[in-house]
This record gives sequence, C-alpha cells and structure tokens, in this order.
Amino acid sequence: MLIALFTILLLGGSSSFVFDYIADTRDNIKIVVPKGERQKAALGTLKTMKKSERAYRKHLRKAGKELYKALDLPDDVESELHGVWTNHFAEVQRRNHEMLDLRFELREQLTREEWGAIFSSDSAEQESLPPQS
Amino acid sequence: MFDGFMRHSAMLLIMGLALGIAACAGKDDVSAIDVEQQAFDDLRFAIREVIDDPLREMEALSLTNELIESLHHLRERVTERRRRVVALNENYDTSREEFEAFFDEIEVDIQANRVDAIESERALLAALTPEERKSLEKVQTKAMKAAISTIQSI
Repeated sequence: MLIALFTILLLGGSSSFVFDYIADTRDNIKIVVPKGERQKAALGTLKTMKKSERAYRKHLRKAGKELYKALDLPDDVESELHGVWTNHFAEVQRRNHEMLDLRFELREQLTREEWGAIFSSDSAEQESLPPQS
Repeated sequence: MFDGFMRHSAMLLIMGLALGIAACAGKDDVSAIDVEQQAFDDLRFAIREVIDDPLREMEALSLTNELIESLHHLRERVTERRRRVVALNENYDTSREEFEAFFDEIEVDIQANRVDAIESERALLAALTPEERKSLEKVQTKAMKAAISTIQSI
C-alpha cells in the first residue's frame, strides 16, 4: 500500500488535468444552444474534449504503473523515476494546453449569454431554460 | 378487517422502506472516510507487526503519518484547483494569459510536491529492510484495497 500511496502523491492528483468537467456539459449545450450548426459545432468540440480526456485517463493509468515500478527500485535507479515522472508531467501540460485551446474554440461557438447559462456557478437560469429546437 | 390489514401492511412496508433507506444512507455516509481511516490503521498495524526494531518502527510510523498528511493536503489543493478553474472558466472574458498563469501555479505546486514525495518515500524505504519492505507490500486488507480506489480519484 505504501508504494501505491506514494504513486498517487507523485501523480499530483488525477485532476491535474483541470478542464475535464467542461467535456461533461453536453446536455446543457443541448438545452441552451438552439439546434443547428452552432450547436453541432459546440457538441463536436465537446466530443474532441472527451476524446482528449479519455486519452489522458489512459496515460494516467500507464504512468501510475510505471511510477509504481520505478518507486520500488533502489535509490541508485533514481534516473528511471525521474524519467517516468518527467514524461508524465509533460503529458499533463500538453493535455491541459490542448484543452485550453478547445475551451477557447467552444467560447467562439457560444454567445456570452449561453456561456453564462452553461457555466455560471450560480445560474439558476440554467435549470429554467426551456429546451431549444 | 381487510382495510385494517392493508393499512397495517402499508405501514410496515413504508417503515421497512424508510429503515432501508436510512441504513443505506448511513452506510454511504461512513464509507469513504471510515474505510480510508481503517486502511491507514491497518497499515500502521502492519508496520508494528513487521518491524521488530522499536526505533525503526517509530521512524517508519512517523514517516507513514507524514505520507497520510501529505495525501490530505493534496486532496485540499486539488479541491482548490477545481474551485479556481471553475471560477476562471465561468467568466467569458478570462484571457488565455490568466489560464496560463494558473497552469504555472499548478506546475510549481506539482514540482514541489514531487521533490517532497520522493524524499519521504526514500526515507521510508531506508527505514525498512528489503524483507520488511516485501512483507509490508504483501499486506492488503479489504479496507486498503477500497481506500486506494478512492484516494486514486483525488
């Protein structure tokens, strides 16, 4: 259990990947954005985000296994541990920037009001909006 | 009489459902935190069992407590990261630079965390003999398995 706990600690929390929740707003987009080209484009962006999230989760499992193995090695194989961690962290950064690009792509596809209705933390309006057709 | 029987049955059914729901809610309430606590207690118990030398045992327990504390801090930091990203994202006008600055903060945090984690891992492993290490890794209680799954989702 000790090595597993250190592995989790080293991964820095699975949510180092910070934008994954945006990819889960598909239902809200369908409610808030009228059916048509813009809705289609926004849903397409979310689909790409979801794909990136799945790829990240897959990477995370692989990195976890590699870190677990490297942590179990003696001190003199520190470079192995460093290598695995550096690769993992580079992937976290790459994926976060990819998601940031997609976040701005999505922003271009939505109006300010739609953005507020979908992402505002205190938007009761989100609940009350009728489905668009 | 039939009405009375039906009323009685319906009441029993409602009471049964209520008790069932209460039991389920109670179970869920205690599960996450209590299972984690049980797993850490099991780990401490295993360390006491496996290490014969009192000084090394004390050191290993102290380092394990530090590890547990670090995991609690990681969970707090991740919650804060989540809160920050939601706040940044909900603002339509947040600039790319503001997000980049936020990423930089996470990077510094993760890098610092990495150094501390490796140092304490090495210190803990140094406090154990290779045999003790093997024996400890073999110990896997139900609570430990369950706790690792929940801690992994931090």
